[in-house]
Amino acid sequence: MTEGARLSDGAVPVLAARGVSRLFGPNQVLFDVDFDLRPGEVHALIGENGAGKSTLMKILSGYLAPSFGGVEADGRPTVFASHREAEAQGVVLIHQEFNLAMPLTVEENIFLGRELRRGPFLRAAEMQEECRRLLARLDCDVDPRLRCRDLSAPERQMVEIAKALGRDARVLIMDEPTAVLTARETDLLLAQIDRLRAAGTAILYTSHKLDEVARIADRVTVLRDGARVASRPAAGFTEHAMAEAMVGRELSDLFPPKAAPQDEVVLSVRDLDVPGHARGASFELRRGEVLGFAGLVGAGRTELMEGLAGLRPASGEIRLFGRSVRPDDPRAMREAGLVYLTEDRKEKGLLLGFPLAENLTLLALEKFTRAGLRIDKPAEARALAQAVEDFAIAARDLRMTAGGLSGGNQQKLLLAKTLLAEPGVVIIDEPTRGVDIGAKAQIYAFIAALAAAGKSVIVVSSELPEVIGLAGRVIVMHRGRIAGALEGDAATENAIVRLAMGLDEKEPEPA
Amino acid sequence: MLRRDMFKAGMGLAVAGALTLGAGAGAALAQDKQVIGVAIPSATHGFMGGLNFHAREAIKRLETTYPSLSFVLATSGDAGKMVNDIEDMVATRDIDALVVLPFESEPLTAPVQAVKAQGIWVTVVDRGLSVPGIEDLYVAGDNTGFGRVAGEYFAENLGEGDNVVVLRGIPTTLDNERVEAFEAAIAGSGINVLDMQHGNWNRDDAFDVMQDFLSKHEDIDAVWAADDDMAVGVLEAINQAGRNDEMWVVGGAGMKEIVKRIMDGDPMLPVNVTYPPAQIATAIELTALGLVSATPVSGRFIIGSQRITPENAEQFYFPDSPF
Amino acid sequence: MTSSATPSVPPTAETPSGTAPAETAPVRKPRRRFGLHVLGPLMALVALIVLGAFLNDNFLSAANVQNVLARSAFIGIIAVGMTFVITAGGIDLSVGSMAAFTAAITILAMNALVAPLGVSVLTIALGMGVALLAGLAAGLVNGALVARVRIEPFIVTLGAMGVYRSLTTWLADGGTLSLNYELRTLYRPVYYDGPFGISWPIIVFALVAILGELAMRSAPFGRHCAAIGANEQVARWSAVRVDGTRMATYALLGLLVGVATIMYVPRLGSASGGTGMLWELEAIAAVIIGGTVLKGGFGRVWGAVVGVLILSLIDNILNLASIVSPYLNGAIQGVIVILAVVLQRERKADS
Repeated sequence: MTEGARLSDGAVPVLAARGVSRLFGPNQVLFDVDFDLRPGEVHALIGENGAGKSTLMKILSGYLAPSFGGVEADGRPTVFASHREAEAQGVVLIHQEFNLAMPLTVEENIFLGRELRRGPFLRAAEMQEECRRLLARLDCDVDPRLRCRDLSAPERQMVEIAKALGRDARVLIMDEPTAVLTARETDLLLAQIDRLRAAGTAILYTSHKLDEVARIADRVTVLRDGARVASRPAAGFTEHAMAEAMVGRELSDLFPPKAAPQDEVVLSVRDLDVPGHARGASFELRRGEVLGFAGLVGAGRTELMEGLAGLRPASGEIRLFGRSVRPDDPRAMREAGLVYLTEDRKEKGLLLGFPLAENLTLLALEKFTRAGLRIDKPAEARALAQAVEDFAIAARDLRMTAGGLSGGNQQKLLLAKTLLAEPGVVIIDEPTRGVDIGAKAQIYAFIAALAAAGKSVIVVSSELPEVIGLAGRVIVMHRGRIAGALEGDAATENAIVRLAMGLDEKEPEPA
Repeated sequence: MLRRDMFKAGMGLAVAGALTLGAGAGAALAQDKQVIGVAIPSATHGFMGGLNFHAREAIKRLETTYPSLSFVLATSGDAGKMVNDIEDMVATRDIDALVVLPFESEPLTAPVQAVKAQGIWVTVVDRGLSVPGIEDLYVAGDNTGFGRVAGEYFAENLGEGDNVVVLRGIPTTLDNERVEAFEAAIAGSGINVLDMQHGNWNRDDAFDVMQDFLSKHEDIDAVWAADDDMAVGVLEAINQAGRNDEMWVVGGAGMKEIVKRIMDGDPMLPVNVTYPPAQIATAIELTALGLVSATPVSGRFIIGSQRITPENAEQFYFPDSPF
Repeated sequence: MTSSATPSVPPTAETPSGTAPAETAPVRKPRRRFGLHVLGPLMALVALIVLGAFLNDNFLSAANVQNVLARSAFIGIIAVGMTFVITAGGIDLSVGSMAAFTAAITILAMNALVAPLGVSVLTIALGMGVALLAGLAAGLVNGALVARVRIEPFIVTLGAMGVYRSLTTWLADGGTLSLNYELRTLYRPVYYDGPFGISWPIIVFALVAILGELAMRSAPFGRHCAAIGANEQVARWSAVRVDGTRMATYALLGLLVGVATIMYVPRLGSASGGTGMLWELEAIAAVIIGGTVLKGGFGRVWGAVVGVLILSLIDNILNLASIVSPYLNGAIQGVIVILAVVLQRERKADS
C-alpha cells in the first residue's frame, strides 16, 4: 500500500503551492516557491531557521495569505480565508508549541468547539467512545478522561493528531513534531506517521533532525533563503547532501579544532549536592578548557549546573579563581565570574516581548548604568550593534523584540547576553537546541574561540557528536551522580552511552 | 450552610429549653439572667461612630443598673453579616430581646420576622423594616423633620433671589426624604437652589464638590451640607477660596466640634439640626425597662429633629463622644 | 525574516534562477510608533479639557486648575508607586486603608508631640517623619509577605486592607481623629500654599512623577521591574534580584503612601475609618488607563499621571456642568476606564 502511494507520481496533489511569494513589509521571505503534497505520502520540508518553512506552512494551512502565487487544493485554485476554512477542507497544521488547553481533558480538547450535544447537554459517552476510536487508530491508549497537563509530550502530540483526525484531516502539516521528543518517543511517532500514510493521509513534515527525515520521508524539499533549492525523492538523498543543500556549502568544518587547556584550575567543585537532583558531584575545570557534560535527560545535569550557578538550593565546596564561594545567589556567582546559559531559551533565557537591546544587557546591566541610576541607552545600542556583528545575529530591525528572531538567532543573542557579563567560566546548557545547522557551526566556532581566548566553558548537551566534537574531556552523569569522565579519544559515543546508562559506573575515587 | 445548620440546632436547643422550663423543672436557675442582643452597623463614618459610642455607653450603664440583664453587641459591615450575627445571637446566646438598626430594610425584614416569630421582643431603630407591624417598639430619628427644620431656617433667613447649594448624602431613601422635606420647606420663599451634588456624607468628597461649586457659582449665600462631616469639608473649601464672609453653612446631626462652634457664635455656622446618634441609647433603655418592669414600652417613639442655636447649644454638646 | 548570511559562514549557494535572496541588512524602523496606545490616554485628556472649557468658563481658571491638580495629588502620588508594583507583576489593594492608617498614626503622633515640643515646626517635621516611616513599614510588610513568604499579592494586600481599615476605625474609636487646632493652623499651608502660588501637593506630585518616570524609563530598577513582570524566571536566570526588587516596589509604594498622607492631613486635619476609601481602585484604574499592563511586564509612569488627571477631571466636569444626573458619575468613569483599556489592545496586536 505504501509502495503504491510512493509510486503514484501522477496523482493529483491534495494540496499545492504554485509560485508562492510572501513579503512582510519590505522583507521578502518566500520567492516563487512550488510545493506539492500527494495523498499517502510524507513530504519533508527542510531548511535552516528563517529559510521560510514556517511561512510556507502557514500559507498552506490558511494562517497567512501569499503575496503572489496561489494555493491549489485537489488541483483547483483555492483561497483559504482563514485557517478554519483550511481545516474545513481537511488541512490541519499541528503547531510546534501544542495548541491544547492543558487544564482540559483529552476528550474536551479533541472535541473543543465541535462538541456533540443533545439539546443543551453534552453527549459525553459518545464523545469518549469517539476519542478512544481516534486514539486507537494511532495505536495510542491514552484515557480520554485524563487532563492534558498530565500527559507526556508524545502523548500530547498524539492527542493533537487525534484532534486533527477528528476533524477529518486529509492533510497534516507537522511543524517539528519531534523537537520535544526523546528518541524512543520519536520512534513511536514515526510509526504512527507511517500508519497515517498507509491510510492515505498526506503529511508535510518538518524537522531539524535529518536522520528522521531520511527515515520517514518519501520526498524532500529544501528551502534556503526563501527559495526552493532542491526537491527530490528521499531515496538516495543522503543526510549530508541534505545538510549541504540547506546551508549551501561544504560542511566538513562543523567542529573547529580543539585547543589544549592551560594548567591553571579556575573552578573546583567538591561534593556539590543539589537536593532532589544531584549528589556528591566533584570536578575541576581548567583555564581555556571546554568540558562536556553528557547523560540522559533527567540525569540531573541541568539541575547540577543551576545549583552551581546559584539558581537552585545547593551545598558543597566551590573554589572559583582561587576564592571560596557559596552558590546561593546568581548575582554573586556572576560577580565571581561564573554564569550559566540556560537550555530553556523561551522560559528562562530571553524576554520574548522585549527589544533585543534590553535582553542583551539584562545580565550585565551594571555595565551600562551611570552613577548607579541611569541606564546609558546609546551604550546599549552600541553593544547591540557590536553583538549583532560579532555573533552574526540576523535581525531585520534592531528594535524588534527577541520573540521575532528565529530560534538560532535567539540562541546567538542569548550567547551574546551571557558573554556580555565577561565571565571567566561559562556554562552553556544545550548550546544548539532547536538551532539549524548553519547557526550550529557558528555557535561551535564561538565556543572554541572562547576557550582559545582563555575562558573556560562547560558544555551540557544531549547530542553526543556535539559533546565529543567540542570538548576535550567529557563527564557523564547517571541518576544525579557523576558516573565517570572520559578524556580525549576515550570519549566515544559508545563509552558515553555505557556510562550514561549506568553500565560502567564506578564510584568517584575519594580525593 | 454551616451557620444555617447551627441555627437549626440552636432552635432545637431553644425549643428543648423551653419545654424543660415549661415542665417546671425549676433547675434552670441560670436562665434568670435575661439577655438583650444589640445589632448595629459598624462605625464606618462619624454618625455611626457616635451611634456605636452611645450603644456601648448605654450597655455599660444598664449592666450596672440592672444586674439581672446581660447584653450582646454585634456590629456588622454589611447586611448579610448582620443577618448572620442575629442568627448567631438567637442560636447561641438565647436572647430575650433584640435591638436592631437594620443595615438595609429589605434584606433584614425576613430574618427579624423569624426572630419575632420565636417570641423574642424586637426593637427596631432608625430605619423601618419593609413589612409593618413586626417590631414591638420602633425608635427613630425624624428624617422628614431633619430636612424641614433646616429648610425652615433657610426660608426665615434668606429671601427672594438668594442662592444656595446643597450637598446630598449617599443616594438612599433616607437622603431623598430629607431633601424633599427641605425643598418643601423653602418652597415659595424665592430661594434659588443653584446646584445639588452627592457628597456621600464624606469629608473629602464634600470638600471636592464644594471646591467645584465655588468655581462654578459666583454668588452663593448659603450652603445646606445636610451632615456635619460634609460641613467640615465644605467649610475648608470655602476657607480656601477666601469667601468666608459671603455665605453660611448648615450641617446636621450635631457633631461635637460643630456644636462647639455654634456655642462660640461662629458666624459661618448659625444653627444645626439634631439627628441624635444617642437614639440607640433610648432604644436600648426602653427595651431594658420593658424586660425588667411592667412599664408599657411598645409602640413608636420618634425623636424629633430640633434646631440647635447658640442659645441652646450647650445641652447638645457631648465632649466625650467621638462624634 | 530572512536567513542569516553571515561573515563567518558565507553561503556559497547556487541561487535558483528567477529568485533573489532577500537583503538581510537590518532595516532600522522605529518600534514605538505613536499609535493609539500612546496617544489614546493623552487624547482623552485633551478631549476632557476641551469639553470642560466649553462647558464652563471657570474651568480653565487658575483656581480650578489648582483644585483639580491638588486633589489629584494623593492618588497620583500613590499611582506612581502602584505603576512599579503592577509592572513587576504585583498588585496592592491596601493603599487606601494604608493611607487612612498612616494619617491616623500621623495625627496621633503630632497631637502627642504637642505636649513636649509645643506647636512648632519641629512637631510637624517629626510627624511627617512618622508618616513616612509608617508608610514604609506597611509597604515592607506587604513586600515581605509577597516576596519572601510567597503569598499571592492579591490575598496579602486584601488582608492588609482590612487590617489597616479596622485599625484606623479602632484608633479613632469609631469616630474621627482631629489634629490639634493650633497645630493644624501651622500645618495648613502645606496643602493650601506653596512657592509661586503653586500649592505644595502639586509640586510634590510633579516631582514624584518625574522621578518615577526617570526610574521606570532609564534606571535599572524600572528595567528589572518590567523584566520580573514579563517573566520572573528569565529575570532570576539573568541574575536579577527578583525578591529584593519585588519587595522594593511594595516598600516604595508604602513610602509614597506616606508622602501622600503628609499632603492629605493638612487639608482637613482629620482622619477616620472612611479616609482613603476606594483610593486603591482609583489608583489601579489610573495606572491601567495610562497603558501599564495589568499582568505586568510593561509600565508607563506618565500614563498613570494622565490616568489620574482623567479620573479627577471627569468628576470636576460633572460637578461644574450638571449635564447628567449625578447618579451616573460612576457609570461615566467606568465607561472611560474600559474604553481606555480597549485602546490598549492595539498595542498587543502590534507586537
